[in-house]
Amino acid sequence: MGGQACVFYGAAEFSRDTDLAMFASSDNLARLSKSLKDLQAEVIAVPPFEARYLRKGHAVHFRCNHAEALGMRVDVMTKMRGVASFPKLWTRRTTLEIDGSTIELMGLPDLVRAKKTQRDKDWPMIRRLVEVNYFANRETPTKDQIRFWFLELRTPQLLIELAGQHRISGQLFQQRPLLKALKLEDESLLAKLLIEEEEKERQADRHYWIPLKKELETLRHARISQTKP
Amino acid sequence: MITPEEIVGEEWASWYRLSPQERWRESEKLWQVYFYLGGSLDTQPDTQSPFFDPEASSAGAAHGRSGVRILRRSRV
Repeated sequence: MGGQACVFYGAAEFSRDTDLAMFASSDNLARLSKSLKDLQAEVIAVPPFEARYLRKGHAVHFRCNHAEALGMRVDVMTKMRGVASFPKLWTRRTTLEIDGSTIELMGLPDLVRAKKTQRDKDWPMIRRLVEVNYFANRETPTKDQIRFWFLELRTPQLLIELAGQHRISGQLFQQRPLLKALKLEDESLLAKLLIEEEEKERQADRHYWIPLKKELETLRHARISQTKP
Repeated sequence: MITPEEIVGEEWASWYRLSPQERWRESEKLWQVYFYLGGSLDTQPDTQSPFFDPEASSAGAAHGRSGVRILRRSRV
């Protein structure tokens, strides 16, 4: 669901880790444990690989020691801020086949939601992901695509072009207040509103992580105490 | 209609125009070059990530030295 998905959908990211979203059932965790064992993967940070941490929204981080994947990082998560539950993500996934292997990717709208974090690097990525989808489909769009673009485009010129061709429903104005400014066709104003919107999301992400970071800190201290003689 | 070039320039526009499969293949070529140059799969620390753990150890290169070394550097 991370960098590899971004490459497929059109943004470019040279991501060296593999991010896995999974349903935290005991069966799945057992299957994942077996696969990680095959990769000789070890947990490299807190929290430990336990379902209770995954269910709270933590990610568990592994590094592979198998010769064919030496040093590769695998991050596993089951819950992300603002992102639908795993069963919904699964029904909306993209499946691709590369060299005979089937790869399941998070659907584009869900990936965009997952990228709305406090990190600088995620925001240009979101912009590119939605731009690529818009350019590829704007001539024969579906209703869902039009709705997705109105809610997620981060390019003022393209938002103005979109509004010139499709009507915005009242519900969308509620979901994304900056759409009200589209009638002014003012790119500078839209750019300013987009920055404000981004900052609001980043703030919400920082707020979401406060209790989780506190818990990680506690786990780190416990780990350090355990390793001290 | 606005063209991709007007928004992101020619280089990015040509990337945008590739199919998802073509982008995947191009990305694989980058990986080959990266490994050829001695790049490692170990990730850079992401200090902005809430997951960032300064205590987490880094694997480092298997041969014990940096995979990609700077042999010459400009003054800037």
